[in-house]
Amino acid sequence: MSETRKILIWDLPTRLFHWLLVLAIVALVVTGKAGGSWMEWHGRLGLLVLGLLVFRLLWGVMGSTYARFAGFFPTPAKVAAYLRGQWHAPGHNPLGACSVLALLAVPLFQALTGLVANDDIAFVGPLYDLVGRDLSNLATRWHLLAVNVLLALVALHVAAILFYAHIKKDNLVKPMVLGWKDSAHGESARGGGWIAFVVALALAVLAVYGASGAWLPEPPPPAAVETPAW
Amino acid sequence: MKTKILLAALATALTATAHAQVKVEDAIKWRQSAYATMGWSMARIDSNLKGTYNKEEVLKAATVLQAIANSGMGSLYLPGSDKGKGWVDTRVKPAFFTEGAKVGKIAGEFNQAANDLAKAAATGDAAAVKTAFGAVGGTCKSCHDDYRAK
Repeated sequence: MSETRKILIWDLPTRLFHWLLVLAIVALVVTGKAGGSWMEWHGRLGLLVLGLLVFRLLWGVMGSTYARFAGFFPTPAKVAAYLRGQWHAPGHNPLGACSVLALLAVPLFQALTGLVANDDIAFVGPLYDLVGRDLSNLATRWHLLAVNVLLALVALHVAAILFYAHIKKDNLVKPMVLGWKDSAHGESARGGGWIAFVVALALAVLAVYGASGAWLPEPPPPAAVETPAW
Repeated sequence: MKTKILLAALATALTATAHAQVKVEDAIKWRQSAYATMGWSMARIDSNLKGTYNKEEVLKAATVLQAIANSGMGSLYLPGSDKGKGWVDTRVKPAFFTEGAKVGKIAGEFNQAANDLAKAAATGDAAAVKTAFGAVGGTCKSCHDDYRAK
């Protein structure tokens, strides 16, 4: 065993993304299950998650070493090597990378279907008007079914972290909080400077603006429609 | 007194007959129409809460909700109406017909919430209407979650 040293694994934007996503998903599950007036917040939080995910997808290209998709994209060969114990590199291991991609894909699916969903009570997603009732009902159905997939993935994620902490004696939470990890392999993450951050953030904000439907034309004023007085 | 008893008996008999005559297809249509009308009322109140608040408009919509909530819609859930087509295929789950106590509890909560909303609407207090409106939505959801197919 070679000597270990402190290397930077998760840059600050990646960590902020992770923990904001955790908070947002917890709040989304709670507000979604509560319904009623909470749907207003459910919609806002959904837009936040969409922004976070767009940022993370861009950060996967523009961010630092271990945040990049190209660096951790799992292939069957890599996963097999990892399972045989032949993988020693910092960052997402190939099996964990599958979990990461699923935990990005399912919330993205939820955010996108949520944009056009309806609760058949008093809430519709901000882009509901673009798709009409039938498609909205379909999106709603998938949105409601996929939340179970999301909860299962989160449970698996937490179980894997507990497994690593207790069985493999590898604390994965600490690096996700502090960024640093004692490692015998690899080097500190590089790249993902301020410019990349600002660009990714700006594009994420732009995506949220697009998804919020704020650019949709205002509905015609009520005065323009004449109906019988009774 | 005799006349009263006779009238009461007649009324009961008529009600029973009326129930027996409702066709399943009609019952499902009326159910769906009632929910659609409540949807209109919910949307109306919602737009008043989000835009300019018009007391009269909200009161009209809340009164509709209250009336439908207290109309005894349970009588439209006839045996055999767990499947079938009204305007569209019904989405009611079979459990709705076997979990009578739980459904009844939700229905009671909905009635109460609709009555509260009508009271709040009569005062014209937008904040109180918003709270009561949320409570009505919550009772809609608790039934949708458990008894309506996704």
